[in-house]
Amino acid sequence: MLGAADEARLMRRLRYQTVRAQLKQVLTTARLRTGLVILLSVLFWIALFAMFYFGLEFLVKHVGPVGDQYHAQTIEFIFHLFFASLNVMLIFSAGIILYSGLFASEETRFLLTQPLRPERIVQHKLQEATLFSSWGFFLLASPLTIAYGLVAEAPWHYYALIGPLILAFVYIPSGIGAAACLLLIRYLSHLRLTVAALVASLAVGAAGWAIWETVRTPQAELFGAEWFNDTLRRFRFTQSEMLPSSWLSNALLDAASPPPTIPLPLDQTPAVRALMFLALLVSNALVCQLVVVTIAKRTFRRAFSELECRPRAPRRAGLTTIDRVAGWLFRPFPAPVQLILMKDWRLLRRDPVQWSQFLIFFGLLGLYFLNINRFSAPGSNLNHTAWINTVSFLNLGVVGLILSTFTTRFIYPMISLEGRRFWILGLLPVSRRTILWSKFLFAALGSLGPCGLLILTSDLVLGVDPLVVGVHQFTMMLLCVGLAGLAVGLGAAMPDFRESSPSKIAAGFGGTLNLVLSATYISLIVLLTALPCHLYLVAQGSGLNVRFLEGSRLIGWLIGGAVTALLLATVTTIVPLRRGIRAFNQLEFY
Amino acid sequence: MIEFEAVSRSYGSTEAVKQLDLIVQPGELFALLGHNGAGKTTTIKMLVGLLRPGRGSIAIDGFDVARTPREAAQRVGYVPDEPHLYDKLSGREFLSFVANMHGLRAGTADAALAAQIERFGLGSFVDQLTESYSHGMKQRTVFAAAMLHDPRVLVVDEPLVGLDPHSIRLVKDLLKAHSQRGATVFMSTHTLTAAEELADRIGVMHRGELIFLGTLEELREQRHVVGGSLESLYLSLVDERGKPTPESPSP
Repeated sequence: MLGAADEARLMRRLRYQTVRAQLKQVLTTARLRTGLVILLSVLFWIALFAMFYFGLEFLVKHVGPVGDQYHAQTIEFIFHLFFASLNVMLIFSAGIILYSGLFASEETRFLLTQPLRPERIVQHKLQEATLFSSWGFFLLASPLTIAYGLVAEAPWHYYALIGPLILAFVYIPSGIGAAACLLLIRYLSHLRLTVAALVASLAVGAAGWAIWETVRTPQAELFGAEWFNDTLRRFRFTQSEMLPSSWLSNALLDAASPPPTIPLPLDQTPAVRALMFLALLVSNALVCQLVVVTIAKRTFRRAFSELECRPRAPRRAGLTTIDRVAGWLFRPFPAPVQLILMKDWRLLRRDPVQWSQFLIFFGLLGLYFLNINRFSAPGSNLNHTAWINTVSFLNLGVVGLILSTFTTRFIYPMISLEGRRFWILGLLPVSRRTILWSKFLFAALGSLGPCGLLILTSDLVLGVDPLVVGVHQFTMMLLCVGLAGLAVGLGAAMPDFRESSPSKIAAGFGGTLNLVLSATYISLIVLLTALPCHLYLVAQGSGLNVRFLEGSRLIGWLIGGAVTALLLATVTTIVPLRRGIRAFNQLEFY
Repeated sequence: MIEFEAVSRSYGSTEAVKQLDLIVQPGELFALLGHNGAGKTTTIKMLVGLLRPGRGSIAIDGFDVARTPREAAQRVGYVPDEPHLYDKLSGREFLSFVANMHGLRAGTADAALAAQIERFGLGSFVDQLTESYSHGMKQRTVFAAAMLHDPRVLVVDEPLVGLDPHSIRLVKDLLKAHSQRGATVFMSTHTLTAAEELADRIGVMHRGELIFLGTLEELREQRHVVGGSLESLYLSLVDERGKPTPESPSP
């Protein structure tokens, strides 16, 4: 049998071969998609970097220069809070990803039948879980730390230490998540969902309470000295010496400090202290590795078996009240459309993976909208009006962009997924045109309700002009209809019947194209309706006497923008749908 | 040799396998039959180390599959009903991975690879990524992988499903030849004609219990039927015990 080192080498080679094949395939068959993903990632990184850089510059200008006590306290607060939050998120995400990698993966089933050490399988999957759970962390932490280095004029070794520090850090929460996952499944497999939900609820509850306590201060005292000190006190726990996030924060802050001007003992110099924190992180990461290996050796095979043999009660599928309500809402449509709408509704309702993501994103947006007035500038001057309108239109854009990710992820793949079970619909006396229109109606109507409500909430909390409320509802309708038309039409024109995973279908060329076209469409629609409305209200509020902003001209702009947006929405809905129907009619299914 | 000793396994309150005592000797081709949900898949999963017996023990050539899973796995070749292949590996890379996993040295591994590629007719596609393989191609590749280390025990779950007539003949010949060379072959199948044609002994599972164990002749004697087919004998045996329960949601 293989020794541990040979086993490790073999698994490394397996990883290398699969990654190489994947990269080769991506570079030869999906250049556009890869290029777009890289370009968008770079743009996103630059935007984050700019945000952090200007934010940190703002601190230097308005709180105090680097080295000042308030500045140091603020930076410490930001770093500790940022890394402590990500620390908790990494534990959860690594644990969840490892769970699916170890206990719901065909690869693991295969590896368990081979003469392989269980700890090797866990390590193999933990590497994946660490990578997948921490890429977001790298994306956020790298622009922040580099921006801070530039603002603080950090010495060269600061930049050299960023990589090793972050790498050593992410392994600790990943290891904790992995150990928790293995122990939970081994000893409490029947309660795993309850325990995970309870811990997640407690974490979310604690974070929500901390945020609420921070923003509930009366408007007049918000961002004042007392509020600042209270906030520092409230989040003091994030600076505990026992937290790996504190070691990382302290290491970065020490590494960025200038060399001492007076002689200090070697272990007191900032650079050496930073190296000591790095050593602390590395040694703890290694201990985590040891702990995970030991737990995996003792528990993994048994845990896998226990989970496989858990009692499973079959889900009963009955007609619920919500189905009856949906049936009542679908009544105006012809019978075949009603049947398809009801089928799609039931598939959506019974798949929590789909609607829970929708609920989380829109729930968070709702919370943000409900609290948005806390950050508005007081008074009713021109700046205030402009600010309110700008924020309200930005909110509209954000809801549209999030909706576009959902139409790409869930609506675009619908036809591709239908292809595998097309014989069911194909044998019914329903035309393919009806199938496609039903999907379109399902997507448009399904998104209009929650999106319209969200925007209404935002507008009411911000207290915008009734004209803006009307314009926003009109814009939202155009967005929902257009995005649904694009996703259904492109999905039918470019189906992928070989792929069974909706996420992989969405990540293909057609899905990427749908996302890019959706973002362009949202930008155009929001600009066409928002800009004239914004200028109209600004001109009304300020009494400016500029020919360009004359009342009659602005009303023309307003109406012209709305009509153009309506035309654009019609084209964006009809053209892809017609192309989709044509392609769909010509398709041969297997 | 395979030894099941008083093996039981439950899914909650549902007992999928009850007190299974069974020995399959070297050189024997054993077919396990039963309706969906009878306990065949659970039995096979325990045998290959995916599940641990709730009670009792299973040994392969004397190695307990729960206590010494690596030693047991080293002696087993396993062909599941739904084969897993790495999409982004070619057939050759996959075979090489399995050969190395079983500790075959470079020269031996190359020779074994060449022999199995030839035997299962993989030559025309073995260097393509497995994501492009049909079910039959995947099944043949998995068979080749299972045979690379010349296992003392070959475990096959529904070996003939999705194969074309040539491949079915190939697999039947392989199973027979492997048992004739002294290896133990444990097969679970719904294809009763194949079991009738190939098996030295037959086991029939019903609601987790082994309700018959013996040769086809012994089954005919037990049912007092002269020259009856395995299909009619099996159906009368199972029907006598009551209608099978609907397939449980267990894996």
